[in-house]
Amino acid sequence: MMKRALTFIAALAFAVAAFAIPSRPSPARLVNDLAGTFTSRQAEELERVLVAFDDSTSNQIAVVTVKDLEGYEPAEYATRIGLEWGVGSEKFDNGIVILVKPKDNTAGKVFIAIGYGLEGAIPDAYAKRIINEVMIPHFRNDDYYGGVSEACKVLMRLASGEISELREDEFDADDAGAIAGAVVTLIILIFVFVLITQNGGDNTGSGSHRGGRTIYTGPIITSGRIYGGGSSFGGGFGGFGGGSFGGGGAGGSW
Amino acid sequence: MKKGLTALLIVAAVVLGVFLWVKGAYNKMVTADEGVQAAWAQVENVYQRRADLIPNLVATVKGYAQHESETLESVVAARAKATQTVVDPSDLSEEAIARFNEAQGELSGALGRLLLIQESYPDLKANQNFSELQAQLEGTENRIATERMKFNDTARAYNTLIRKFPDNIIASMFGFEKKGYFEAQAGAETAPKVEF
Repeated sequence: MMKRALTFIAALAFAVAAFAIPSRPSPARLVNDLAGTFTSRQAEELERVLVAFDDSTSNQIAVVTVKDLEGYEPAEYATRIGLEWGVGSEKFDNGIVILVKPKDNTAGKVFIAIGYGLEGAIPDAYAKRIINEVMIPHFRNDDYYGGVSEACKVLMRLASGEISELREDEFDADDAGAIAGAVVTLIILIFVFVLITQNGGDNTGSGSHRGGRTIYTGPIITSGRIYGGGSSFGGGFGGFGGGSFGGGGAGGSW
Repeated sequence: MKKGLTALLIVAAVVLGVFLWVKGAYNKMVTADEGVQAAWAQVENVYQRRADLIPNLVATVKGYAQHESETLESVVAARAKATQTVVDPSDLSEEAIARFNEAQGELSGALGRLLLIQESYPDLKANQNFSELQAQLEGTENRIATERMKFNDTARAYNTLIRKFPDNIIASMFGFEKKGYFEAQAGAETAPKVEF
């Protein structure tokens, strides 16, 4: 009993250690200031700019600040956020994650993770240069907002040169196919069931159908999804699109 | 007559059910298997990318540090060994991956020692070409870490799929075998430190 409890605690501790990456924000937003480095006004302004950029070009830039990297390398932490949140669209893999760990007792760390689709527009060397020439000089003066927003401007210019598609509401064709398949299967099953029960009824020999035998069709469960939730509240962020990351980008510390 | 028809319908429904189950499970495994092979191709890509950077790096270091021929040769030898260690994507067994991982790990070690040389050669450290190659190597190592992680995730999902009851019956019938994982290399400097 004791042993089992210990195993459980160990498993729990392992799970906590393995999933130290912040979970995907709900409701979805692009600016996630978990370290509290921006004023609320600055965070709102940055969010507005980045959402507008997402709407007009479909490129998603997520800004994340954290107090502690939980022992991860900045590159791994930023890439995992990109993958687990799905920053960027699934079609273009055009997401960017800007991760900032402000300087406290330990050195400040920054990493820009670039999605697969933008590695051509923003090679590692460009990301490195943005960090060294734009971000770190601001960060050294404790101007986190300035560094991040300037970096976003440069990144937006580079990214929009590569991919610039107006965002549309995407209807998931795979889901539609799965639902249609389930409905067809259900209809066939009902049909077979009805055939069997009707035969059974005739075999009793009596003319009556026992006071209205009802055909059990079962609860028809439909798994619908509500689409376009985000786009209805006046230009809010529509959510992450499932973009993928391959470890591209660059980091720095100060 | 009617009874016979009922029995026939029941048998047909059972046969149809079994067929649909086998078909569904088999196709899921094929998809998962393809996913693992695709993830493996990505792993090989990023390792190849690293191997492609090495001749340039060695040439640059050679220009500044002729006395380090031993370190340089060990990198060249490790690279040759690593590029020769190829894995058949249809046989991603534990042993095959461990062999690949060991050869690439040796190359990582040799590269690490090569990069340490720069501390004794300030001219090399200041060289623009060298620092650019170093940045590219760093980016490649990040990509390697990411693709290894993705490979492990897809392999884990596949292994779970083929070992679960009752689908494991179908897996063994059609010869779907367990895939290996990338184990962290002993003394890997990138391993996350967990402090309590």
